[in-house]
Amino acid sequence: MSTVGDTLKVFHPLVDKYLRKERMPHMACPGCGIGQVVHATLLAIDELGLTPKDTVWVQGVGCSSRITYSTWVGDNVDAHHGRIFAVATGLKMARPDMNFILFTGDGDCGAIGGNHFIHACRRNLDVTAILFNNGIYGMTGGQVAPTTPPGAVTTTTPYGNIEDPFDMCQMAVAAGASYVARWKSTDFKPLVSSIKKGIQVKGLSFIEVLLQCPTNFGRYVLKTSQPQEVLKWIKEHSVHKKDAEKLTPEELAGKYLLGEFVYRPERSGIVERYQELLKKHRKE
Amino acid sequence: MSSGVKPGKYFVQGDEAIAEGAIAAGCRFFAGYPITPASETSEAMARRLPEVGGVCLQMEDELASIHSIGGASVGGLKAMTISSGPGISLKLEGLGWGIKNEIPYVVVDIQRAGPSNGVATRVGQGDFYTVRYGSAGGNCSLIALSPSSTQEAFDLTVECFNLSEIFRCPVFLLGDETVGHTRELLVIPEESKLNVVKRIKPTVPPEQFLMYPLDTPGVIHHPFPNIGEGYGICVSPYTHTSRGYASTAQEIQEKMAKRLVYKITENLDQLVRVQKQKLEDAEFAVVAYGGNARPAIAAVDMAREKGMKVGFFRPIIVWPFPDGEVLTVAEKVKTILVCELNIDGQLVREVSRAAKGKAEVYHLGSGGVEPHLPAQIFNEIRRLYK
Repeated sequence: MSTVGDTLKVFHPLVDKYLRKERMPHMACPGCGIGQVVHATLLAIDELGLTPKDTVWVQGVGCSSRITYSTWVGDNVDAHHGRIFAVATGLKMARPDMNFILFTGDGDCGAIGGNHFIHACRRNLDVTAILFNNGIYGMTGGQVAPTTPPGAVTTTTPYGNIEDPFDMCQMAVAAGASYVARWKSTDFKPLVSSIKKGIQVKGLSFIEVLLQCPTNFGRYVLKTSQPQEVLKWIKEHSVHKKDAEKLTPEELAGKYLLGEFVYRPERSGIVERYQELLKKHRKE
Repeated sequence: MSSGVKPGKYFVQGDEAIAEGAIAAGCRFFAGYPITPASETSEAMARRLPEVGGVCLQMEDELASIHSIGGASVGGLKAMTISSGPGISLKLEGLGWGIKNEIPYVVVDIQRAGPSNGVATRVGQGDFYTVRYGSAGGNCSLIALSPSSTQEAFDLTVECFNLSEIFRCPVFLLGDETVGHTRELLVIPEESKLNVVKRIKPTVPPEQFLMYPLDTPGVIHHPFPNIGEGYGICVSPYTHTSRGYASTAQEIQEKMAKRLVYKITENLDQLVRVQKQKLEDAEFAVVAYGGNARPAIAAVDMAREKGMKVGFFRPIIVWPFPDGEVLTVAEKVKTILVCELNIDGQLVREVSRAAKGKAEVYHLGSGGVEPHLPAQIFNEIRRLYK
């Protein structure tokens, strides 16, 4: 079966430069927001002048990971479900000279991998983690996630979700990450500069992106297959933290805050601290 | 990095000997989670690794420990983690990732009495099958070595690292509390006397290199490239092609499963290590492994003093199981008594299978806490001896 990629052999210049063309076309559903986040990441990489020799992509399990895995032209390390931060800890401690960009999802990072996420933030591991938050388990077909809004009907909450969603940015701030920000997939420019800032900052940077999943979030939660409807819902349910100051608690209920939540580039992390320990205790 | 070998004579626990063996073998990343009776290894690694420029971390749980050593090994460092029964149950989740991606590293299991938390500070031998078959999904083989003394804890740890590099796979050191906590003589040889296998690096350019040699499943000494050197390695939990691209094709799944099994089963000749004692004229053989080999040998000596023709057999590499060696023993003797610290019978099943009915096989089990006493084993020999 021929595909668009086979027929046209024409690629976006960033794809041409940084992604494996034999892995194209990617497997994202039509209208999915993952492509926007990958685009922003590639632009950040390009603007910073990173190369496959100094940068590794690390993934977990879920849409965020299955779609981006083995597409980076350099090295790709895809962990078990939830174990992305644990694998990245070994990688970064072994190769502190390299950049590790992590693609994780709301289930991967907020549910099965929650403990590793907390402790990677506490250690302030010097990696750049990008959270693809689509509010649902997409890869497995629309089950409730720890980020699904209350009341939402999903395949495993047929009577409506009775749980509250997890604010992973607040968790990252509380646990000690150097840089934490949240954007919508359509906030392209701030997202690019956030990813750049995240790559440059010492310590853990955590950038959450609210992105549209028309296939599952649209279908089950919003009863639509239209990406623009899901984007509209995200827009209506999010507000920049500066604008949020003018809103009442009632008006803020159920809304995601956008913007940068913490930037503390002076805070050291385990990579630097381990190097200091070695300076003192290395004998041979 | 320096070799870190500290030649000399020491009076230490098996757990500490494991740490010294790891450092001598070139281990430069260790991640653990506290658990009795294995914590002494973590403590020794925390003291020693910074001295030789290595990284030692205490992770948030067992899952993080095994996954971080996998990551560190992909990052180019020889790596190890350690645990005991309840922690090993958790580590098995990560083991599959290591097996699947053919990542060299060493996992140490200091067995204690189980199941579940069992008796934390006391010996058991219930993980014999757990380490071999615990990783979900099958389609793999596995190497496990079992020491019975402090000296062997050192020697076999070095061997575990070597085999993990040669076979490009996780290797288990299957110890137990008796070995872990027995304080006795350890002789660490000069560095020049130690055989240490270094990480094997590719000699062909990236475009010719296949990360996973699916078309030559029996090949060993297959290289593992460094990250950042243009090899563009792909490591993933999914069934993958030779380049590491996820695949759902039946043909690829078949090839990958065969690769993970055949690289071990086609090289069994390199994986036979057993201890045989007084078997030349024996009519009765006692079989035991790990720390429980010590009372078994004492019981064989007691039987010999009474004029009974009893010998001793111990698998040192317990997985792959030494079928051929056991069959040779079974063909020679009338009776085999397998002594192990579990009631369900684990080692005895493998011995029975490998003996192919050539000898009568009996089981002397124990729930653990204490090793067998020599007199217990001797009484059983006397009862069964014909």
